[in-house]
Amino acid sequence: MEKHLILLVLAVLVVPLALSAQGSQEKAETPTLTVYAYDSFVSEWGPGPLVIPEFEEQTGISVNLVSAGNGGELLSRVELEKHNPRADVVIGIPHELLHETLQSQLFVPYKPQAMQDIPEFLHFDPTHTLVPFNYGNFAFVYDSQQVQHPPQSLDDLLDPKWNRSIILMDPRTSSVGMGLLEWTIAVYGDRYLEWWEDVKPNVLTIADGWSSGYGLFTQGEAPLVISYTTSPVYHLLYEESDRFKSIVFPAGNMAVIEGAGIVASSPHQEEARKFIEYLLTDAQRDIAVANIMYPVNQTTELPEVFQAIPHVQKNLTLDADRINSEREQWLREWVEVMSR
Amino acid sequence: MNQKAHTAHMPDIQRDTARFYRTMSAPALVLLTFLFLIPVGIILSKAFITEGGQFSTERLITLIRDPYILRVLRFTVLQASVSTLVSVLIALPGAYLLANFQFRGKSIIRAICTIPFVLPSILVVLGFVIFYGNQGIINTAFVKLFHLSEPPVKILYSFKAVILAHAFYNFPIALGLISSFWEQLPVRYDQAAMVMGARKWTVFRTVTLPRLIPAIISAATLIFLFCFSSFVILLVLGGGPQFTTLEVEIYRRARMTLDIEGAAALSLLSIGFTILLVALHLWSQRLLSHQEEIEQIDERRRGRTPTSPLATISSILYLVLSVIFVLGPLVGIVYRSFQAPVSRSQEMVFSFVWYRQLFGFDRAIGSPLGIAASALVTSIVIAAIATVISLFVGTLLAARLRSKEAGKGASIELYAMLPMAVSSVVIGLGYYLISSTVSHSTMVSRTLIVLAHTVIASPFVLRSILPEYRKIPRSYTQAALTLGATVPQTFSSIDLPLLRPALATGGAFAFALSMGEINATLILSDSSVVTVPIIMYRLIGSYNYAGACALGTILILCCAIVFATIERVRRSSSHA
Repeated sequence: MEKHLILLVLAVLVVPLALSAQGSQEKAETPTLTVYAYDSFVSEWGPGPLVIPEFEEQTGISVNLVSAGNGGELLSRVELEKHNPRADVVIGIPHELLHETLQSQLFVPYKPQAMQDIPEFLHFDPTHTLVPFNYGNFAFVYDSQQVQHPPQSLDDLLDPKWNRSIILMDPRTSSVGMGLLEWTIAVYGDRYLEWWEDVKPNVLTIADGWSSGYGLFTQGEAPLVISYTTSPVYHLLYEESDRFKSIVFPAGNMAVIEGAGIVASSPHQEEARKFIEYLLTDAQRDIAVANIMYPVNQTTELPEVFQAIPHVQKNLTLDADRINSEREQWLREWVEVMSR
Repeated sequence: MNQKAHTAHMPDIQRDTARFYRTMSAPALVLLTFLFLIPVGIILSKAFITEGGQFSTERLITLIRDPYILRVLRFTVLQASVSTLVSVLIALPGAYLLANFQFRGKSIIRAICTIPFVLPSILVVLGFVIFYGNQGIINTAFVKLFHLSEPPVKILYSFKAVILAHAFYNFPIALGLISSFWEQLPVRYDQAAMVMGARKWTVFRTVTLPRLIPAIISAATLIFLFCFSSFVILLVLGGGPQFTTLEVEIYRRARMTLDIEGAAALSLLSIGFTILLVALHLWSQRLLSHQEEIEQIDERRRGRTPTSPLATISSILYLVLSVIFVLGPLVGIVYRSFQAPVSRSQEMVFSFVWYRQLFGFDRAIGSPLGIAASALVTSIVIAAIATVISLFVGTLLAARLRSKEAGKGASIELYAMLPMAVSSVVIGLGYYLISSTVSHSTMVSRTLIVLAHTVIASPFVLRSILPEYRKIPRSYTQAALTLGATVPQTFSSIDLPLLRPALATGGAFAFALSMGEINATLILSDSSVVTVPIIMYRLIGSYNYAGACALGTILILCCAIVFATIERVRRSSSHA
């Protein structure tokens, strides 16, 4: 009995090792490009399954697309794997983590040719270590069944008639939540906390992430939610419903830009560059439609439903260095005000 | 028994026994070390590394002195304590009914109660909102019935809602653990007390309750640890940052702002705190469990129904209320899965559209669906294997711990509980390390996922079995050994049969945990293994809440069938 058990333990330990040895032999024969992306890019409903096969066909390079976490997690993972690097390309690092990305020295700059078709306000990284491939604008979305006259500015949201009517997200755990915090800083500067203090009675709940917050909204819990200008596209495309509409503020909407970069330690630099070029050209339309975001490349033709949503009048952004140096303090003050 | 012959045998028997149990528990400890201790230890050690690469405790000291962090810690402990207390209080009457009476639908009730466990917390939140929310089932019904202008039920977005949701999630743990312990409690003392004229309530308070304490503590420890690291429910249903737990801050550092060192330091703080509590619980449980050891396991003694009419009414009332309590949010999820908007209008009608999409009969535009069936099979296979292994591992660990003298082996017990004391975000970072050192094939991913689920489920199995195991009198084992049985024979023909009810409870929870696990799965799957929770998470991430509810409904159905089967097995074996 004892001997059997010892054998069993050994077997459990040895099998994965044997399998891994076999795996590494396979790898040496066919070099593939390993691409890390956030989960919704890789997902069955995301752009991954649409754009990857086409790239493989065009170039003959095979791609291993890995779901490697969202936003900061992508960076954390590449950092943790520093001594055992796997990724060649990373997709989906938000522009606000530019400072951290550059500091980590994990990526190598590359200026793709397609940059010329990308409007100036999206060039968030002058070193081209991260290139923009996708962007969106944060916006309040309203339920047209409950609201006839939607607010037209951040100030309008302070009106007492919206008592307990807005669903927000926590900037500590949600990038959309962080987007709104930055938005108020971009609009009000040092006086941003006053807006938060005043909006408190109008907030129904502050969710942990966009998914739960938007879920509550579509369930009819509150008539207003912070989301993206493009959110109604989903309802138009897949539910044929125009019940939910986004609001473009004349004073501007905060922009979020998603970047991609080539890992410095990658042995497949040539292939990685091809992939980045493809990402900024032929893949743009599919990415935009599946992600329900805007393409960065101006030559991209989008389906008609994108015309149905209002055009952003002014793109607001904050400087990445400023975000890096002041984020801790903003969050601290925000929590202080919001938990009173 | 001949005292002399007995003592002559003893040294041999003791040595054999000790060696047998030590060897038996080795796989469990090896697994825990490689899949948990080493990777998580590496991550946690980062807490002590400064930016210059030096060792320093400065980061931890700063944290402990930070008033904000201390406030968060205080609240974390407060909400976990209240949630634990409420969950146990709700479960006690139920455990009493389940342990003492035979009635129809008993196994169904047990099965239903375990279901919340498999659902991802975001779906539970959604279920709560669909049932209790402003436009929820309850409020809509009240508004229509009584022609109200305002929704009358307003429990969401408050501390109450958080406790309610935590109780919904966790009271089944207390129900399961306490009732299976209670079932095998000897009634002699109760009867003796009653013969001497004590009233029923007095008997319960002074005789039964003190003897239930090992099981209550076991359940309370688990519930406390679960609530300690909860955060989705707290933020969404609580309403905002006044309900911040340590896990929120750990999550932010690990996943939002690339501060792994900070996350590690915070996690160490929370581990230190939870370990202190767990150690306290283990210690008290050890003290108490030995009072039971001399007792004999009682034969079945359950009455068919409560005796007095008052008792009958109150038990029916309790059952109905708790079934509504558990079913409410589940019904919400099921209801939503059959609702779809009619083209171009805003009306919602009954429809199978989400199910047709999930199983690939309908193709939604641009969405290659139909993966639900294969994900379901993958999930069930992984959960079944993980359950078997964790039952194996948990029983062997329990056997070793029980064979120890009183007061020894606490470190192993603590060690085995560790996976529950560490934040899942930090465990996730540890899995990144594992995943970067092994090569990637589907087989490796599957093996790793099963093993990771085993690590997660084993503390549960251990906690279900250990209190029961300690109750088995050692005289049984010793008698068998003296009569010539080998140690393994004693283990399989005396210990195991007596443990069946506890094994069933532990097994059901292990299965549920594995079916609902997403963190480790997502990281270790390397995109090659797709389970039901992953699909659900992706559906929600791509606006498709109704699709997620449909998948949730299928998950609920599958688990109900599995749990009911486990219950049947458990009951038929306890008749034998």
